Amino acid sequence: MKMNKRFKACLLNLIAIVAVYFTFSLLINSGTLTRYHRNIIFTICINIIMAVSLNLTTGMLGELALGHAGFMAVGAFTSAIITKAWGISTVISFPVALIAGGLLAAFFGLVIGIPALRLKGDYLAIITLGFGEIIRVIIINLPITGATKGLSGIAKLTSFNYVYIIMVLIIASLFTLGRSRHGRAIISIRENDIAAESTGIPIFKYKLFAFTLAAFFAGVAGGLYAHQQGTINAATFDYNKSIDYLVMVVLGGMGSITGSIISAVVLSMLPEYLRDLTALINDLLPAIKITDPRMLIYSLMLVLMMIFRPKGLLGTAEFSLLNLWDFIVRHVKRFASLITRHLPERKKAITMPEVPKYDYANLDLPVLETKQLGIRFGGLQAAKDVNIKLMDNEIVGLIGPNGAGKTTIFNMLTGVYKPTSGDIVLLGKSIVGSPTYHITANGIARTFQNIRLFKSMTVIENIKVAFQTRMHYTPMEGIIRAPRYSREERGIDIRARELLSVFGMEDVADTPADSLPYGQQRKLEICRALASNPKVLLLDEPAAGMNPKETEELMNTIKIIRNRFSVAILLIEHDMKLVMGICERIYVLNYGNIIAEGTPDEIAHNQEVVAAYLGTAAEESKEESATC
Amino acid sequence: MLFLNQLINGLHIGSIYALIALGYTMVYGIVKLINFAHGDIIMVGAYVSLILITDAHVPFYLAVPVTMAFCALLGVLIERLAYKPLRSAPRISALITAIGVSMFLQNLAQQIFTATPRPYPTVFTVAPIVIGKLSINFLTVLTVSVSIVLMIALQAFVRLTKTGKAMRAVSEDMGAAQLMGINVNNTISITFAIGSALAAIGAILYSLNYPLISPTMGSLPGLKAFIAAVFGGIGILPGAMIGGFVMGIAESLTKGFISTQLPDAVVYGILIVMLLVKPAGLLGKRTSEKV
Repeated sequence: MKMNKRFKACLLNLIAIVAVYFTFSLLINSGTLTRYHRNIIFTICINIIMAVSLNLTTGMLGELALGHAGFMAVGAFTSAIITKAWGISTVISFPVALIAGGLLAAFFGLVIGIPALRLKGDYLAIITLGFGEIIRVIIINLPITGATKGLSGIAKLTSFNYVYIIMVLIIASLFTLGRSRHGRAIISIRENDIAAESTGIPIFKYKLFAFTLAAFFAGVAGGLYAHQQGTINAATFDYNKSIDYLVMVVLGGMGSITGSIISAVVLSMLPEYLRDLTALINDLLPAIKITDPRMLIYSLMLVLMMIFRPKGLLGTAEFSLLNLWDFIVRHVKRFASLITRHLPERKKAITMPEVPKYDYANLDLPVLETKQLGIRFGGLQAAKDVNIKLMDNEIVGLIGPNGAGKTTIFNMLTGVYKPTSGDIVLLGKSIVGSPTYHITANGIARTFQNIRLFKSMTVIENIKVAFQTRMHYTPMEGIIRAPRYSREERGIDIRARELLSVFGMEDVADTPADSLPYGQQRKLEICRALASNPKVLLLDEPAAGMNPKETEELMNTIKIIRNRFSVAILLIEHDMKLVMGICERIYVLNYGNIIAEGTPDEIAHNQEVVAAYLGTAAEESKEESATC
Repeated sequence: MLFLNQLINGLHIGSIYALIALGYTMVYGIVKLINFAHGDIIMVGAYVSLILITDAHVPFYLAVPVTMAFCALLGVLIERLAYKPLRSAPRISALITAIGVSMFLQNLAQQIFTATPRPYPTVFTVAPIVIGKLSINFLTVLTVSVSIVLMIALQAFVRLTKTGKAMRAVSEDMGAAQLMGINVNNTISITFAIGSALAAIGAILYSLNYPLISPTMGSLPGLKAFIAAVFGGIGILPGAMIGGFVMGIAESLTKGFISTQLPDAVVYGILIVMLLVKPAGLLGKRTSEKV
């Protein structure tokens, strides 16, 4: 049934793509459409490429970039120089020039991205704006690009075939990429970058990848633009042009590819319609003579659109022909049987994600050990001489009053903070200085005190992100849906559903994570952490905000996890019933120092611990300490 | 001598950038919005003062406060109509709205005044001050001193008055400020009003120096001032001032000694280097998200 649905969707899209192609080909070849209209169609296609490619960085990755026109300029000038200089058949030189333009733009994207992507939010926007403008100034000052005069006499090689096919290829590849492990990784960074890195995603690499790929597509679009216009001037590619494309992306809905397409079409045609409107107004009301109010109306619409639909036309949702079809089918029932009787079930090849082999021989050695671990923030010594040992399959508690430095220790163990002294040894190897995603891949997974899920992704996608480190298909294999893509994706789908069923969450697999109730969100976070197959699981206040019954359940769950997944668990918790109930050993932290270590019983009777918690003389009853 | 002259030119234009940058930085500090329409307030201020002086024959000393009031009102109006409904929306939506407002103002001006630039009157005919071989325009002296006085006044206002304290509180944490009984909406309006009034003064000083007024004249000084604000650490008033002076001087020295084509590239280059070295700008503090 599921396969059938996907097949139906593909078929419908294919039919639509081919139908649009033949309709316009026919109209253009028969001369029904004038050159003026043809140019509008080309412009629309180029704008669509620009919008969907910018949507990759701004929508899917969630990083605001304001220099997209700069990459377009690189592609435009590169390809124009190539076709002008290369006296070979244009059937060869034009595609080569387009790809070369794309590649050089991608190279610029890489060079700019490496420094720029270390910044976030508005700062990234400004620095990309700066780089985009610098590209423009460089082009204006280079003799080879015609300096201030620009290039003219470029052969008008952009035809409907070229522009339409390239557009379809780029849109399709963005769609397939978005649904591969690489796309999931990119979207998870948008949703929550800290959680993404802790789940094993090398976030910088993926940011750079998305940024460079977007630059490549923009470069190709630039090539098409140059060979549509015939003359190009660097002044065209200023930040206002970048902003035009950004407007398309935001109006369509960030992250929605179909939204970008729709808004690119509408915004490209709008000026033409408004032109007619102007003439009409001037005819009807000759008294108030207006001179071309297109931009005035356009800007007003932009403001109103944002006020009334701040998330854009489609939000992050995608318009789907299949849904439209289903909508029609539901109303015209008799058409349904025509399509659905296909496709016998075939046996599908599946590759299960491999279980990582942790090469450590000696079970008597701790899986995780800190040696004199310490960290100093300026003048504040947040942790000092912390020695913690975690044996295989052990459940250990880390308790202490608020501000004692518990989460700081977790952050050091996972590489979020770099310790200023001491060492952390995981399975016999020091991991100090390793990036977070690397530590995750090597066996430490964690949850967060304040839940960090990839909210707009579904429950199962949240878990699939964590399988990332154990999948192998390349972005290209993901884009073209190579056999390895299908095998691995089927494998993790099975594994992810298995994992969910352990927690009794298989029913909610396809609902968005942020629609889950609180307790299930906590469970999902644990589930996601386990999906990376850790040797050590760090739980940061798993029972926070749970009622006694839920806490009870959680205690059982933690025990099940330990037995079933053979992992060592270190947990921070304030609920003493839980800590005393399941921990085999407990460390007590106060002011960044370990003040006690021992079995729950020993800790409960430790005078120093009681004093640390209650801040009074140690004679206070231990029952009270148990309620902290 | 050329160097000193260029330096003085840089100070002149830099102090205008600084004045405009203050508006950017105040608005960003309080609502975390890059107010792209701020540059166009400059344009509006230029046209309003131009009409007052040449068409309505209002004396200059009266035209200045009227222009300031007009721009302040416009700033508040824009905030109330366009930005306020989006306060809880994704930040990029507010950014796009700001871009929309900017385009709207430019095109409205084009409808009213046409795209043909108009000359700005010469108000001051005071002989330049000559010190040895160095001659300094009266306008330069006026611009730099007016800017410095206004910056100090603004700083004092924000530091010492109750309203200033409210502004700082809202910029720190809007929700908490509200709970402490601060009228957040009024505070934001005041911020826009002050920023826009400063832009009006910036507009008049800018127009006196570059006496050609057109509907798109605001974008370039707006962009430069914005870069200045980011350079100094956006949201921080002294940062915007330093940024303005640095940008003005860098621009003027590049024009004088390297190439007249390159000042924009140099300005962006300086910004990029600054952000790579100090990601939150010169005086900005990097806040990392608590895990």
